[in-house]
Amino acid sequence: MGREVSESCVESLLIEMVSSYCNRFYADKQELAARRIEAIGYQVGHQLSERYTMERPRFSDHLEAIKFICKDFWSEIFKKQIDNLKTNHRGTFVLQDNHFRWLSRMSIESSPEMVVSSPDGEDKASQAMSMHLYFPCGIIRGALSNLGIPCAVSADISSLPACSFVIRIKA
Amino acid sequence: MQFFGGSDISPSPPAPTASGNNAHMMYMFNRNGVCLFYREWNRPLWTLNAQQDHKLMFGLLFSLKSLTAKMDPTSAEKGNLGVPQLPGQGCSFHSFRTNTYKLSFMESPSGIKIILVTHPRTGDLREALKYIYNLYVDYVAKNPVYVPGTPIKSDLFNTNLDQYVRSIS
Repeated sequence: MGREVSESCVESLLIEMVSSYCNRFYADKQELAARRIEAIGYQVGHQLSERYTMERPRFSDHLEAIKFICKDFWSEIFKKQIDNLKTNHRGTFVLQDNHFRWLSRMSIESSPEMVVSSPDGEDKASQAMSMHLYFPCGIIRGALSNLGIPCAVSADISSLPACSFVIRIKA
Repeated sequence: MQFFGGSDISPSPPAPTASGNNAHMMYMFNRNGVCLFYREWNRPLWTLNAQQDHKLMFGLLFSLKSLTAKMDPTSAEKGNLGVPQLPGQGCSFHSFRTNTYKLSFMESPSGIKIILVTHPRTGDLREALKYIYNLYVDYVAKNPVYVPGTPIKSDLFNTNLDQYVRSIS
């Protein structure tokens, strides 16, 4: 359990994974690329949750499991906890991370020319950015699924580097 | 060394801008001569259009490195010119000064060239250029949406660079 790997290596690998799937393997099928990336995240989340719940008893209810994701699980992976948790008490949870580690270096240029020249340009940029969120969504889904909670996870970048993950538990 | 139309520029150096920025402008090139980045804080005089300006700058650096390496009286071997070397190794110029500005230069082993033009009384900027290279690594090389070899368009890089340049004495 004591071996470590360089964070730059992991981050570079993730960047290349998204780039390969979006620009080479499924260049004109972005939806398919997104699902493949999310599926990889699912496997990773599944195994990580196995590892990080080794000495713990079972979770009493969904809220406890989500709190585990927000605190211990997030700390193990991103060295910080989720900053804000909201729920509608009917199976939907919103996890807000105000400084998501994998988005901390992401940046585009917001010059006035970009906005004027084409609304398309901005959409492409935000789509490229959101491609990088499918992997963490998959991780959350895989982790919860391993804890016995099937769900759907989506993400949204409100303003870099903050982002929120929406978990919808399947009834 | 007088390069750009010496007679038009007054001998006294221009005062720093109201924003307090200590540098005039900065260029970044990659190994292939693509101008990755250009930013100016205080440049009252343009002699050429942007494209020509960048090409001239790149050509100038290439020639200067070649010249300084060939004129080296201490080195026994003539290394492979055009190949980027580790900073400090081999023989490469790092700055030149005129009566109106100082140009500082650094090339990384990956071929990234950083040029910073400041007022003539600036001290040695080699450490500053290394710091700027670190900013490049953090906010450009590690930016998930950056495509290597293309011009740099990153707000984070711009902001951190402006902030740092303001603090150079």
